[in-house]
Amino acid sequence: MLEVLHSLLFSTLDAAPALVFAALGAMLSERAGVVSVGVEGMMRTGAFCAAVAALAMPTPLAVLVGMAAGAAIAAVHGFLSIRWRSDQVVSSMALNLVAMAGGTFLLESLFGPNGTPAITQLSRWNVPGLSHVPLLGALSGHAAPTYLALTLPFLFHLLLSRTPLGLRLRAVGDKPHAVATLGLSVAALRWGAVLGGGLMAGLGGAVLSTAVLDRFEQHTPAGLGFMALAAMVFGRWTPLGAFAAALFFAFGNALRIGLASSAPWLLDLVPQGFLLALPYLLTLLVLALQGQRGHAPAALGTPYEQESR
Amino acid sequence: MGERARQALPSVLSVLLALAVCWLAIALTRDADTATRAYLQMLWGGVGNWPAFLDGGSANTVLRPLGEAAMKAALLTLTGLSVAVAFKVGLFNIGAQGQMIWGALAAALVGAHVSLPAVLHVPLALLAAAAAGAVWSSIAGVLKLKRGVHEVISTIMLNWVAVSLVDNWLVIGPLRAVAEGASSITGTAEILPTAQLPRLLGDGSRLNLGFPLALAAALGVWVWLARTRSGYETRAVGLTPEAARAAGIPTLWRAGGAMALAGAMAGLAGAVLVLGTEGRYPGSLGAPYGFDGIAIALIGNSHPLGTALAAAFFGILRAGGTRMQLLGVHKSFPELIQGFALLFVAGRMVWLALLERRQKRALAQARPQVEVPRA
Repeated sequence: MLEVLHSLLFSTLDAAPALVFAALGAMLSERAGVVSVGVEGMMRTGAFCAAVAALAMPTPLAVLVGMAAGAAIAAVHGFLSIRWRSDQVVSSMALNLVAMAGGTFLLESLFGPNGTPAITQLSRWNVPGLSHVPLLGALSGHAAPTYLALTLPFLFHLLLSRTPLGLRLRAVGDKPHAVATLGLSVAALRWGAVLGGGLMAGLGGAVLSTAVLDRFEQHTPAGLGFMALAAMVFGRWTPLGAFAAALFFAFGNALRIGLASSAPWLLDLVPQGFLLALPYLLTLLVLALQGQRGHAPAALGTPYEQESR
Repeated sequence: MGERARQALPSVLSVLLALAVCWLAIALTRDADTATRAYLQMLWGGVGNWPAFLDGGSANTVLRPLGEAAMKAALLTLTGLSVAVAFKVGLFNIGAQGQMIWGALAAALVGAHVSLPAVLHVPLALLAAAAAGAVWSSIAGVLKLKRGVHEVISTIMLNWVAVSLVDNWLVIGPLRAVAEGASSITGTAEILPTAQLPRLLGDGSRLNLGFPLALAAALGVWVWLARTRSGYETRAVGLTPEAARAAGIPTLWRAGGAMALAGAMAGLAGAVLVLGTEGRYPGSLGAPYGFDGIAIALIGNSHPLGTALAAAFFGILRAGGTRMQLLGVHKSFPELIQGFALLFVAGRMVWLALLERRQKRALAQARPQVEVPRA
């Protein structure tokens, strides 16, 4: 029993970082008032570029390339939605489509349909002294992103709730006109948030191809971007909430895989489809019970216009 | 230029620009000649190879491609309508895929396990599919309206639940077809002949009743939105919920109704797939038609007829796209064109600004003497 729990926790911590980073990125962008339905596309771009870069350079550097690629895609979104006040949903979805089709095209024309060649995975760290402690031992033996994913949400929380910059970011998503009245640039703040969101989503994607897998595949990230979006909404647009929701989704996933391999008898009682659906059904149930009114930033999705008052 | 043309112009220009960009991409990676020939192949594959036909080729050189294009267009129209209708009331329906899954399953079950004459069987299967889709989307609708659950998250969750329950359980478990002979079948039992949507162009083409059905649906939604009281109220709720509520419009009912209609449209898409071409619920739906519907609706400016037009166009590209592979050009180009088109639709403000700048310059050149220096 303890072993099952241990392996469940371990695979949760292995799978969670991609979701955590992407959810934090989406949150950053949306708290500043810019819709971030495009995380899936940013993740895909980040995953692809990191995998390709890792063929030529050390993997940790390649992760940075993946982050930059995510930010580059986000910059297109920023250009259209901040500079040109486009419909943010349209431009996000467009980037998803382009990343989807473009990624397939580039992958197959450069490497063939089976994905990129294998790359060196990010190395795993053993936390000294923890490896043999029951349960807590699950914390040991992960790649660096896992440890980053366990700390970053708290840093984001401090940034948003305790610093002037965080206050401004939140304000620009709720009442951009008030921010402008203070003589601050709405556009600059939103640009920062969108690019930061792109970096994080790119990181989330890069983690998939460099730590979870050892290559970029046709279906990466297979809807994880949308899951990250759901985690952000589930977490009520807060760093710690998004973190908890991402962990929950990752745990649900680990539960499904873990139970199938460690307790096959269970599959005779409960159809696997139910186990697969369980995390999503639970999410719906929790949301239905708690309700979810009025947590989205007030100015989310509305382009800022100086004259619009 | 009329107001309608002005509304549609950005989409048309965007699609053209996307075509140009992708032509350039092929020309750069291969050469200009290949790019042009690939586009021709795509055209012949989408609307029929008329030169070959007029040269004495068989009718199938035209009918087959047209049928494939119309088949794809029907599915894209219906899922596009699903997203568009929800947009009209201000909801973002990411869940067309899940609604389509249940619609397809309902159609497959009614098609296989109910025996009726065709006149009744087909409508019953369609109705069941629409109802199944509507029920599934209404879960998100009720959660939104009663509990304030964001529809983006609930429809995403419901997609995953649908895939998990149907593709990973029902279809491979209790509802799996009993294998006949040695062949192992994936998917549910085959539908009865009476439930098949009739083929319209004979056996050489897969064009079936689904296409006119989708067009009728688009027309119906348009008439409803533009010409009926409840349609008008629905649009009002989407534009300004507060004003609509103040005007005495039952906002909850209108939003819920629109969401249910969205699900019904996606459910119908599933039925057209099953009753028209697949003949059963296959192992999985194949292409993410529900997600494509989002792009189609956005390119069609959420207008029912615009959505149908966009779907027809991309149906042609999709059907023809497979032909490009004959020239060694990658099959994902139609999707890439779709993505770029949407990107350029998003950039419509850039267009408008450029146009405006040109207009101003033209004005300034036309009458320079009008400008009075200010004191």
